[in-house]
Amino acid sequence: METGEKVNKGLKGLEEKVFDRDLCADCGACLSLCPYLRSWKGRVVKLDNCNLEEGRCFAYCPRTEVDLNKVYNKIFGKSYEEIEMGPFRKIMMARAKDPIWTKKAQTGGVVSALIDFALREGVIQAGVLTPRDGDLLPQGKIITSRKAILGCAGSSYVSGPTLEALNRGPWKGEERIGIVGLPCQVLALARMKTSELEKKTPIDRVDLVIGLFCTWALDYKPFMAFLFERVGSRSIKKLNITPPPERILEVTSGGTLYRIPVDDIRSFIRPGCRVCLDMTAELSDISVGTVEGKEGWNTVIVRTAMGENLLRRAKKAGVIETRPLSKDNLDHLKEASLLKKRRAIDALKGKEGVETAYFNLSANLIKRILSESGEATP
Amino acid sequence: MSSIAQNAPGKTVLLMGNEAIARGALEAGVKVCAAYPGNPSSEIIGTLAKVAEEMGLHVEWSVNEKVALEVAAAASFAGLRGLCAMKQNGLNVASDFLLNLNLSGCRGGLVLVVADDPAGVSSSNEEDSRIFAKLGDLPLLEPASFQEAKEMTKSAFEISEQLGLPVLIRSVTRVSHARGNVCLDELPQSGPKPRFENSQRFFALPAVLNHKLLHEKLNRAKQMVEESPFNFYRGPEKPELMVVTSGSGWMYSLEAVINLNVQDRVGILKLGTTWPLPESYVLEHLKKADRILFIEEVDPFLENNVKEIYAQSCLVLGLKAFFGKASKHIPDVGELNPEIVTHAIQNLIQVPYEPRPADYALRAHEAAAELIPARALSFCAGCPHRATYWAVKIALALDGRDGFVLGDIGCYSLGMGPSGFGQMRTLHAMGSGTGLACGFGQLNRFGLEQPVIAVCGDSTFYHAAMPALVNAYYNGANFLLLLLDNSATAMTGFQPHPGTGSTATGKEAPVIDLKAICEVFGARVEVVDPFDVAATVETLLKLLQDEKGVKVLILKRECALVSAKHQKRLYRVEVDQERCLGETCGCNRLCTRIFKCPGLMWDKAAGKARIDEAICTGCGVCTEICPVSAIRKEKD
Repeated sequence: METGEKVNKGLKGLEEKVFDRDLCADCGACLSLCPYLRSWKGRVVKLDNCNLEEGRCFAYCPRTEVDLNKVYNKIFGKSYEEIEMGPFRKIMMARAKDPIWTKKAQTGGVVSALIDFALREGVIQAGVLTPRDGDLLPQGKIITSRKAILGCAGSSYVSGPTLEALNRGPWKGEERIGIVGLPCQVLALARMKTSELEKKTPIDRVDLVIGLFCTWALDYKPFMAFLFERVGSRSIKKLNITPPPERILEVTSGGTLYRIPVDDIRSFIRPGCRVCLDMTAELSDISVGTVEGKEGWNTVIVRTAMGENLLRRAKKAGVIETRPLSKDNLDHLKEASLLKKRRAIDALKGKEGVETAYFNLSANLIKRILSESGEATP
Repeated sequence: MSSIAQNAPGKTVLLMGNEAIARGALEAGVKVCAAYPGNPSSEIIGTLAKVAEEMGLHVEWSVNEKVALEVAAAASFAGLRGLCAMKQNGLNVASDFLLNLNLSGCRGGLVLVVADDPAGVSSSNEEDSRIFAKLGDLPLLEPASFQEAKEMTKSAFEISEQLGLPVLIRSVTRVSHARGNVCLDELPQSGPKPRFENSQRFFALPAVLNHKLLHEKLNRAKQMVEESPFNFYRGPEKPELMVVTSGSGWMYSLEAVINLNVQDRVGILKLGTTWPLPESYVLEHLKKADRILFIEEVDPFLENNVKEIYAQSCLVLGLKAFFGKASKHIPDVGELNPEIVTHAIQNLIQVPYEPRPADYALRAHEAAAELIPARALSFCAGCPHRATYWAVKIALALDGRDGFVLGDIGCYSLGMGPSGFGQMRTLHAMGSGTGLACGFGQLNRFGLEQPVIAVCGDSTFYHAAMPALVNAYYNGANFLLLLLDNSATAMTGFQPHPGTGSTATGKEAPVIDLKAICEVFGARVEVVDPFDVAATVETLLKLLQDEKGVKVLILKRECALVSAKHQKRLYRVEVDQERCLGETCGCNRLCTRIFKCPGLMWDKAAGKARIDEAICTGCGVCTEICPVSAIRKEKD
């Protein structure tokens, strides 16, 4: 930059800033916008060089030059300052009431139940969710039915290019859209909304964003190779990580439950996740995660008027039930969320420095994050 | 009736050099003709195949050059006349047999025509095959004109029979592929009945004895060529400079001397029998001049051999100055032309001459640039190879392990350039891609993690890749072989081959099924249509994941040029310019910038893509690459 050379903000820039540094989260925001990028088994792959100086791939990416204040202002009307877990209106525990959701759910079934409710109420006409194929590979899918929602429940702890489905369509053109995404995807959606580039995507029709808590995602290929070696079978039914302090990956395959210590899989964490500031998907309407020590319940953070309205209606309609979140749980959540930010900053310091990171944070905010996040046991 | 089969003695017809050679063989009463196609030799056997029926010949496209020479040699052993033709690379393949055949000798006239490709215009290499004549102690003739091409071929059969040796004829592109007047002679009406005389033996062994006999034959040949009409001198009795030349060099030298108007100062010794050289004849002419310039294409063959003769007699001849490739007056690589020869002569005798204005080439280039579309060396519109490499490029990128493609000989050799998206990494001889893959396919144990892909065409597979595939299975090599089955020997002119169901003469033949062969050789075989890009990518990825042993993917789709001859185009393809986003599309002109089928063009006025209807063959592959589906296809 000092040389006065024009910085490429197209695919070339994306390659230098994200692919070459192994920061890609495989969120899918850059996919199906052009023929040069494709996702394959958890990796975004460049097929050809593109010499455009500016491109949506770069503009939408959650790992390129993110102006956090600009993005947070667009979504919440305020700057990036609530460092604990982002702006919110309410926080609670919740779970779906209909066993159709809780039976298949990873925890409380709130996400599936809310998307189903939003569809039935006409708040949205389509959802973009993330089912997994027979080999546990996640991919984005447009859904309009309850059956399809059920097919997307659960997690494989692997990120997938969900947003590709948003870009790709096919769309009729009028649908209001709801999306369930990981923090990186929720950030990408916010960047899509704030981008000044010609859009040609249905981002302006995305009315509902439900974010999922995430501490990290695993790199698909090495993780699957590891799993198949451990389990000795390719037909894996369910993956679940038990809450701390145990932290065991439970793998259900062929009627057997395998228990693998999480420490054994940490080496498969995507490098892009290690520099992520966001555990609670701060840029969503509603964020949903687990509750420590309360099996079958979700933590729900309501962040926007849209989110608040939907949750209220869902509760009134008997789709979900809620309870207050205990102070202990709330403290733990804040602690964990801040810890993720601290670790990201530490990781960046160990790399090329926070000053040249993909986001801009004032020195003051960095100091606050570092001082407020007491080092705790993970 | 084809002009080469007409029995019209005295008639002058316009013939291509290769046709003249074919006619010479007919006039010599040839019965068996065999070849593997290769430019610039292909038309010799191609022409004979067309008249095989009416002339009562056996003409075949053999599976490779070695087999072709063996087929022609068998005719010779049985007392018939046999002709074999090949390009320079082909002689390398046939050389193992040839360098035993020289020792065993032969019976009926046996002529081997080798057409060299100086500058490698349509070859993987540049090579002077004349060295094989010296290596094998075999007589060599070099035609310099079209008439001579016919006469020499006829004469070569005679020499072959007199010596009991195969005779080589070396042509080059500008003799084989140019056309000129040829005066015809009579065609023989009958020939001998073939019979293998059981009293005869054709062995190279005992090698030393036969080698000695071979040298005796060569000495007889030396005597025979002293009187050859193919060697002559034109020029003054005491020239300031004598050009010694052969083959294509004759015409270039003649033109240069006339252009410079130095006929009274420069003489030309034109030699047609270049191995063995007519020693006395050469010595006699060396006496005429003290300054000698050699003009010949590719290697200094004449230059070195004449110098050898001179060295033996230098005390008698006195000091001479020799010019040519060694003195750097003539380039030692590439093709010659009259201009190069003119400059060489001009330098040596100091004649002022400007063949054309100094800036002519530049101006010609500029003038042409306006008329000729700028286009890189490219696959034809609708070529299945483009679709194949497109899929390979995508699959290797997605696979992400830095896989690479080992190339082979055929149209698909263009895979090394932009038309094949630069996917190919090696290119050597026929079948070498698969052979190299056999080696790369063993390197996993040393830690090679990259997937190995070899490409091979259908004709090349039968020619030389089959043994490599057997080797792969036997030795357990791990690689993926892509068999690009376009059902034609496309690069050399669509000659049939063992997979096409017909022979050189158009007779029905059994189809040697590629898939069945590969399966018998133990490979896991899949077949796809490369025009179905998505399915091809998927299959490639699947096979790349399989890291055990040899896998074969047959990409089956007929050559677009062959298809065009017998079927309507598949689709009418057009760009919906309403849909095409032009310069504003995120695709950044993928269709014309990267995919680059000549059937696609950039409509500058509209700022959008367009189909060039004159060129598009309607394969429809480009409809799969447009991200906004602006390219549409409709059944035609």
